[in-house]
Amino acid sequence: MGNPYEISKLTLRIAEIMIDELKLEDVTPETFDPDIDLIDEVGIDSMDLATIALVLRDEYGIVIDEDDYPKLNTIGRIAAYIQERMDEAKQG
Amino acid sequence: MMNRSRPGCDRESRMEAQTHPVESTEQKTWKFSDIIGDPLIGARWEKVRRYFFLRESTYDMTNRCNIRCDGCYYFEGDKQFAHENQNPADWRSLMKAEKARGITYVVLAGAEPSLVPELCRVCFEEMPLGAIASNGLRPIPESVHYRIHISVWGDDETSLRVRKAKDMLVRQIANYQDDPRAVFVYTFTRENIEQIHGVMEVLSRHGCKVTLNMFSSPVGYTGPLRHTPQSLARTRQTMVALISEYPENLLFSPYSAVAHTHIHGLHVLYSCSYPRMNRSTAIGLGRSFRQYRADLSWDRTAACCVPDTDCTDCRHYAAGSAVVTARLFRHASDPDTFRSWLDYVDTYLAVWVMGYERGENLCDHMVAPPGHDLPEG
Repeated sequence: MGNPYEISKLTLRIAEIMIDELKLEDVTPETFDPDIDLIDEVGIDSMDLATIALVLRDEYGIVIDEDDYPKLNTIGRIAAYIQERMDEAKQG
Repeated sequence: MMNRSRPGCDRESRMEAQTHPVESTEQKTWKFSDIIGDPLIGARWEKVRRYFFLRESTYDMTNRCNIRCDGCYYFEGDKQFAHENQNPADWRSLMKAEKARGITYVVLAGAEPSLVPELCRVCFEEMPLGAIASNGLRPIPESVHYRIHISVWGDDETSLRVRKAKDMLVRQIANYQDDPRAVFVYTFTRENIEQIHGVMEVLSRHGCKVTLNMFSSPVGYTGPLRHTPQSLARTRQTMVALISEYPENLLFSPYSAVAHTHIHGLHVLYSCSYPRMNRSTAIGLGRSFRQYRADLSWDRTAACCVPDTDCTDCRHYAAGSAVVTARLFRHASDPDTFRSWLDYVDTYLAVWVMGYERGENLCDHMVAPPGHDLPEG
């Protein structure tokens, strides 16, 4: 598992991507609550998540399985998921 | 609570400034940003993604129909026995509740919505985006500004035999010629493939918009309308020929032909995301889609766009519109596959959304569905 500094950097970057791609207003990467429910409280749906997954694939080289979308309902969970995949890739 | 604006509106100028990457015939791993860096692809992506806010549900409006067709989905299963709720106030309450739970698009379907125009109007007043599936024999008032899908099952001789109704095409055209809401939906069965040429000629002469659908057997149906591998191949060849023959009137793409005539049905190709085949209630159609019966009840275990279809044989245009579209990620593998997906989504939006103007197909040839081969023949 990545260190807290890496995770928090990742969280900020995912928040930034989300704000940019989904044109979220009244929020900055710093004020984006990593535990807010993206589906219930932000109104994100599967097409939005697929779009974010494509940008994350470009940036981190990891593939988010379509079956995993339901689990990724907060930015914190997405960050942990990516970190886990990157750690797995490092370990070969 | 943060707000959302419609995505993508300020990105077109950026797209135009980007350069077109050199495409190689060698296998390469494409970045999504490179794929949408192509100005045509990028512009189409921005155009279609504005509609990602659409969340659909479907509603049976009556338990009656003015005709009775062989292989009709409505008169399979037990939904046909639902008591018909004709109270406009109940329908208005339902639409308000649907809006409150995030539904933005309604499909008014079985058995025949044109028999209850006042209920259609109530739905439209509450929910401005939607479509009505109709046999087109009774005109729906212009005040109901939904897309109207008029079902065509072959020429008038075939319609008389299969639908027991005389002069269907003549009456449908009389009711809906020059109506901007109308899209004629030609359903290919095993028996009517060649008849599309005559039907298409008549419809295009009258300036009608047309899209193509595949007969998908109701559960237990083994009759003569069910497709075979041979009829799927013949239908595909016919569809592709029609695309170049009727570019103005036909709303369809080469990838639509592949997706709907493959030897595998939509569920095997794309994993159907409707509740009936999808247990997850966390996100997407599995979370929001409901299929209401005429008594305004709904049952998650039976919910899909055309209930009582045999899922292994499902190639229905309504199903594809949601199921293929939902598989954005797996189509973003290379420019041609993504172009094909964009053509599919562009077609679907033109067929279902009033005012959406379809562009030219970006991919002029057939591309295999991700993870599968191109169909033979």
